[in-house]
Amino acid sequence: MNGLLPRLGRRLLVVAASVLLVHGLAFLALRAVPGGPFDTARPLAPEVRAALEARYGLDAPLHAQYLSALRGLLTGDFGPSLHYRDVAVRTILADALPVSLWVGGLALLLAFPLGAGCGVAAAMRRRLEGPALGASALLLAVPNFVLAGLFVLAFSFGLGWLPPAGWGGARHVVLPALCLALPLAAQVFRVAHEGARAAHGSPAVRFARAMGLPPRTLARRHVLRPALVPVAAFLAPASAGVLTGSLVVERVFALPGLGTHFVRAAMDRDYTLALGATVVYTALLGLCTLLGDLLLAVLDPRVEAVS
Amino acid sequence: MTGPLRRRLALVWLGLLAAGAFATPWLPLPDPAALDAAHRLAPPGWWRAPFLGTDPLGRDLLARCLAGARVSLVVGLLATAVALVVGVPWGAVAGLAGGRTDRTMMRLADALDSVPLVVVVLFLLSLFQGHEETLAAFGIGRLQFFFVAVGFLFWIPTARLARAETLRLARRPFLDAARAAGSPPQRTLARHVLPNLLPVTGVMLVLTLPRVVLMEAFLSFLGLGVEPPRVSWGILAAEGLGALNPLVDSWWLIVVPGAFLTLTLWALDGLRPAGAPRSSWRSRPRKTEEESVGSPTAARREG
Repeated sequence: MNGLLPRLGRRLLVVAASVLLVHGLAFLALRAVPGGPFDTARPLAPEVRAALEARYGLDAPLHAQYLSALRGLLTGDFGPSLHYRDVAVRTILADALPVSLWVGGLALLLAFPLGAGCGVAAAMRRRLEGPALGASALLLAVPNFVLAGLFVLAFSFGLGWLPPAGWGGARHVVLPALCLALPLAAQVFRVAHEGARAAHGSPAVRFARAMGLPPRTLARRHVLRPALVPVAAFLAPASAGVLTGSLVVERVFALPGLGTHFVRAAMDRDYTLALGATVVYTALLGLCTLLGDLLLAVLDPRVEAVS
Repeated sequence: MTGPLRRRLALVWLGLLAAGAFATPWLPLPDPAALDAAHRLAPPGWWRAPFLGTDPLGRDLLARCLAGARVSLVVGLLATAVALVVGVPWGAVAGLAGGRTDRTMMRLADALDSVPLVVVVLFLLSLFQGHEETLAAFGIGRLQFFFVAVGFLFWIPTARLARAETLRLARRPFLDAARAAGSPPQRTLARHVLPNLLPVTGVMLVLTLPRVVLMEAFLSFLGLGVEPPRVSWGILAAEGLGALNPLVDSWWLIVVPGAFLTLTLWALDGLRPAGAPRSSWRSRPRKTEEESVGSPTAARREG
């Protein structure tokens, strides 16, 4: 782990570079979409439209617009939203980010221990293996918006335990987080199970068992750790999946999160808000990948730390 | 449930679904778009006329699910084909060329991979809107364009797998022999690499198909994909969720399309050949008891 800090710095630079690249690509992609932010059902008078475009700097040539967007990216000020006039994109994102982080973070926190624990347990006990694999296959096949519908039917309308939608407290986080967590837990289960089975059949574990190690110690010391290596590697794709899933789940549960704003902004051609949300998403994804690599290096010292 | 039983059940379900979707016009079912004000929100009759119930406009849910199956399955197959046609040659060329070409091509793929999905989809669909008339002249509608757009989302993982496999092939003696005999790169690619990628391509097909079906449902659910009046399972699920309400019982509107979608994804997932990569993590084949006795997995790997 020699020279970890410079390497970490280099990786952060890579994250920053990818944010910059994605920002540019998204800028171009959004502008290439026909239709603008001021296209409403009732067309605006040309003078009003021209005045609005001048007010938001949309009449400038494309490279000038890009430069000002770039300046916004560097200062963290993405300008006013084109849809919610007079509200800064920064304010919207600052309000939305905690919602998404709560739901997504809780989903990751639920899914990883659950999936990894079940995976290792299933690999250790042959009796559990069949049912657990079957359950994970079924859970993997349920799309999270279907799961959301079933949960709302069961827990909100049927049992009346949890609110079906909205935001405003711990009770509102539970269902969305579960909808994201359960399919993810099934994926983690598969990865952990495969890793644990590989570890279970390894000569080291056979030797340890032959030496008479009790199963519990065997599991903790010799199976769990190697099994967790692929699980840690799975953190990056998993967080990408949570980010994508949040688009749907936030919509189902009417949460004022990033995903809701993102889809709406992209559809309304709210250039500034869509660009801001894209940047936040990319940065989150890059940081999660970095975190996964760090975890990997801690679990398996042979892996070049943050190469 | 795993193993051969699951595979058989999966095939039965997919067969039934394909037959149902194909034979819809000849089945004694109402038109999926026909409104029926007298039978709004009828619960499933199971053995009687609205077998799976009707929606708030009185449209028959079974007919709509089968019509949705047509769209979802066709989108799935065509989009997967697009992903393979783009991804496999890309990966093969990158893997064969190596060096700077390889790095540039894969970095480009990585960069594209990091752009959020919704931006990519919107961009691709907007390309369509810009050239609607031109494309319509070639008989390409929004739906057909959507296949290409979804397929385009999945060529990157395919390209990575194809590249990894090409790198593995490149170490084999027959490619050295071909090169030593003076075979130009294009010929090596066409005659020696691509045919040898065919088996892996089959695996990629099976791996990609469920993801594509799910993606279609996901995008249609968000309102970015297939648009009404066409139906797909994603649209049906969105309608079902929209109709959910504590006062009027309408559980079948979400449960039925959800079940169609879930069963299909489950079946497609079950088709994956044993030993196909779930994750690319096992670097070398491990020797376990079953394998050394000669399991079907080992046999398949050899063959």
